[in-house]
Amino acid sequence: MEMMVKKHQQKFRKVKDDMSRWDQLQSQLLAQFRNASSIIERLQVLQEPKNYGVFTCISGIREEVLGKQMESLETIFLSMKKTIEEFHSIVVSLEKILRDGRQLMKGGSISPSTKQMQLRIGIRPSLFDCLEGLRIIFEMHYSEYLLKSSIVSALSLKSSASDLGALNQLLIDQPNIPKEEVQFIFDIIFAEEIC
Amino acid sequence: MTSTPYSSSEQMETKLQNPSLSPIPNPSFSSPATRLWRPAAQRNLRNQWSKLLSHKQQWYMASSSGRSHATSLVNDYLRQRYMSAMDLGCLSDMPNIRRKACHKLARQQEIHGRKLLSSYKDMVTAVSHMANTSSSMRCFLKGPASSPLVQFSSASEDKNDNGDGGGIPVFRFWSIPHFENLGQELVQMFSLELSFKRLLVVELLSVSCEEVQQQSTGLCWSDELYPGEFNELSISNLYSEETQEPVLPRIKGWESNTQTIQFNHHPDQEILQVYLTAWLAEVNIDTQRVGDIFSMVGEEMHVNLS
Repeated sequence: MEMMVKKHQQKFRKVKDDMSRWDQLQSQLLAQFRNASSIIERLQVLQEPKNYGVFTCISGIREEVLGKQMESLETIFLSMKKTIEEFHSIVVSLEKILRDGRQLMKGGSISPSTKQMQLRIGIRPSLFDCLEGLRIIFEMHYSEYLLKSSIVSALSLKSSASDLGALNQLLIDQPNIPKEEVQFIFDIIFAEEIC
Repeated sequence: MTSTPYSSSEQMETKLQNPSLSPIPNPSFSSPATRLWRPAAQRNLRNQWSKLLSHKQQWYMASSSGRSHATSLVNDYLRQRYMSAMDLGCLSDMPNIRRKACHKLARQQEIHGRKLLSSYKDMVTAVSHMANTSSSMRCFLKGPASSPLVQFSSASEDKNDNGDGGGIPVFRFWSIPHFENLGQELVQMFSLELSFKRLLVVELLSVSCEEVQQQSTGLCWSDELYPGEFNELSISNLYSEETQEPVLPRIKGWESNTQTIQFNHHPDQEILQVYLTAWLAEVNIDTQRVGDIFSMVGEEMHVNLS
């Protein structure tokens, strides 16, 4: 039993790695989103010929500037898509960790009884705690991934400034991954290390 | 192929000449000279292209610092403009607070203007160097061809010597004119962009607020922005001797209908936003094509130009 708990703790370390990759991707996505929304907000100004001041004397300027901005926007959209795919790969990895954890219970020479599952020795977590933790963390990230990918596809040239603000806030908040709850899970799993 | 010191022994270079690729060489070019010309031309081309690459990098550095100075300048200007509408809280009771603040911002704006001008100067220099470099790709025979010590130079001494080795491929496939055309293509993009940015610099250096009593700089297109500017611009063909002023900006692929430039000394926020976006967009430079040119040339010359 003790060995199994140790093995699970190992898995939680991998989860931690995945989550810190997630954080990196999160700040990457936020930067990409900011760049995209500043271009989208600018497009309206750029479409007005009267806003070209001294450039009015150069023919083609409006078309070219708009064209270049659309090009950069497209590039940003592409890289956002890539970031979303990377989020997905983290979700896949978390799912695999969870599946391996379940396998560990069933595949062993003795599959633990319900009592053993819930057994806590000292401040060590029970096997049930471990599995539950893995499941919750996976599900949080899975839902957050779905949310993010729908936010990114909601982003369009016609998004208004207030839409953009709301979407940005939603991205920052990551409502599906409550920080305290995640911390709580880790506190249970690694209780010995905290003391 | 390395450029080893030349020896007059002819066997050494014979393998460089691939007969199937070489068109009939210029008859005025004696064959030992041709054989020696190639390594010299190769070395020259490698040098010139790596120079072009560093001029390009200088351009991008100057352009990006220019953009940040332009942004600061615009912010200084807008803050002065909206000073009267700004809520200063308890400070509003202080005598002349707005006037003093505006004065300070105007001074800052001036400083940023000077920095912007200096970035512009760096861009002018980068482009004129590019133009010089791209017209120094030929390699001429120096001294009599019969001399035992064959030397080469970048200046023609003989009218019959085009400096292109009679049009033979220098490395694998391309002749000198081919390299020159690609260089010219780069110079054209960057010089059009330079002329475009000049317009922006003139405009931004002239913006001022009515509220602030500073003598209006009131720059015109035909003013020389710093001593020696017109000399440098004429190297890149951006100065017209005929009209005695810099060539008017235009965009590649568009008819130029520029006749008069209407400067606006009090532009709105939206206009300024367009200006800054246009600075960043570098509409005349096809970044993809620039990258392609350098990588194609690099491949042909067996060097890494990136």
